[in-house]
Amino acid sequence: MIEAERLTRSFGDLVAVDGVSFSVGEGEIVGMLGPNGAGKTTTIRMVTGFLPPSGGRVRIGGSDLFSDPVKVRRHVGYLPENVALYPEMRVSEYLAYRARLEGIPSGDAKRRIGRAVERCLLTEVATQIIGTLSKGYRQRVGLAAAILHRPKALVLDEPTVGLDPAQIIKIRELIRELSSESTLLLSTHILPEVELLCGRVMIIDRGRIVAEGTPESLREGWLGSAGIELVVKDAPEEAAPLLSSVPGVAAVRPDSVEAGRYHVEAAPGADPREEIFLAVRDRGWVLLEMVQARASLEDVFVRLTTREPGAPPEAAPREEVAS
Amino acid sequence: MNGILANLLRELRAYFFSPLAYVVMTLMLLVNGYVFVLIVSFLNDPRVQVGAPLELFFGQTIFFWAVVLLFAPALTMRLVSEERRSGTIEVLMTAPVSEAQVVVGKYLAAFCFYLFLWSPTFLYAGILDYYGDVAWGPVLSGFLGVMGVGALFLAVGTFASVLTRNQLVAAILAFVLLTLLFSVGLLESLASGEAARETLDYLNLWRHMDDFGKGIVDTRHLVYYLSGAVFFLFLATRALAVNKWR
Repeated sequence: MIEAERLTRSFGDLVAVDGVSFSVGEGEIVGMLGPNGAGKTTTIRMVTGFLPPSGGRVRIGGSDLFSDPVKVRRHVGYLPENVALYPEMRVSEYLAYRARLEGIPSGDAKRRIGRAVERCLLTEVATQIIGTLSKGYRQRVGLAAAILHRPKALVLDEPTVGLDPAQIIKIRELIRELSSESTLLLSTHILPEVELLCGRVMIIDRGRIVAEGTPESLREGWLGSAGIELVVKDAPEEAAPLLSSVPGVAAVRPDSVEAGRYHVEAAPGADPREEIFLAVRDRGWVLLEMVQARASLEDVFVRLTTREPGAPPEAAPREEVAS
Repeated sequence: MNGILANLLRELRAYFFSPLAYVVMTLMLLVNGYVFVLIVSFLNDPRVQVGAPLELFFGQTIFFWAVVLLFAPALTMRLVSEERRSGTIEVLMTAPVSEAQVVVGKYLAAFCFYLFLWSPTFLYAGILDYYGDVAWGPVLSGFLGVMGVGALFLAVGTFASVLTRNQLVAAILAFVLLTLLFSVGLLESLASGEAARETLDYLNLWRHMDDFGKGIVDTRHLVYYLSGAVFFLFLATRALAVNKWR
């Protein structure tokens, strides 16, 4: 439904987005993750046709976005990052304006506005002036306006920013529900959100896609098997070599020798916890703690997007990712 | 069409909800009322030759030009610059509307509001009609001239509003452009060559309004206003396509 092909955008000397290609299939929810300034919003602005790319192209539902922008934009709903609204208008008036802008026939408009107001939980503020609304309500007004024309592709830039936890849950439910009628591309920096909502994730850093896949495949592909955290009481010198000799242990890293804290990397597919326990007990040492660390998407994210100052960016395994 | 109508209605609404519009309206009433009183009392002076008050009213006092030169930028300065400043332009320009529709819709809103500002003028004609005879022909042609000048000036202002995200800069820019446009015709008397004199005469807005006030509807003047308006709206459309995301 949404296809971006080698999208590039530079502002002067700065290359904000550098050859980003991706596609979002019909009915998919794809999340775009990345640190601030990674190029998420720039990419989204090109996909929605607001920003002309320096290179590359965008196709929505098979038609080129830049050859017939007005027609193609009819099928796109867009919630920008900083939801800008007209503060002097009432919510219902704003939605009526947007309906007219989208070319919804006036007979249909009223019904669709009513439905969008209901879905985005705006019923109690429908006649309020937008300038008096809280950030959370404005966010929902923007979302209601974006879904008025039942777009085939819905692009949401940070849709849950500024909402309270209860609202976040409701908006996530709504987003999930919307995926049955629209293809969704959403950007966020809230990692649990991606894990909860998105079937597929792209991690963007410095204008490039550094990883792409399902949240699970990213976790496995980038972090391998999960590590094990150990604390051995009064650990002697030879604890590390002993742990290394346990079958199924790939590597041992002492985190803090005085506290007896070790990080054990398990061999792929192995679960050496039982062996470790037995080996430690056989020596008469005391095992205070043993925790299997669960790799989270956050680890993947941090690993992919943090760099030592001055270090060259980590080469991303693009071949593996492209499939 | 939807794009034009949606923008037209929203901008018109915005005019009536903004304090600036009421300030402009009040000033306009004050200035025009003062000019009207001035002209009527001037013509009532027995030493002065007999004349038609509304002929003088449209365009023959510096007040008229001060009003349009100042108020046209005030009406148009917000149109696009505010959308760019607040970021609402992002949603607007990703909706299925073209740049031209946005520009024309907003321009038409400014034009409608401008006509609304001038509508009390008919009251003056009514007052004069009550106490004496009014030649309605020149009044209507004078109003046509007001519309023509407005069409041109508001197009220039709309163009200026696309160029910046700062309303004040847009207003000043529009004022400078309009002052240039206005004063170029006044250079007529300084022109040496015949061709130059005729060209400047064609651009002399004061002369145009003189004709309109007398009841002369010269299509060349109307062509000048309309082609000028179309030209500046075209520039505005091109500028919007380039500037929208900046």
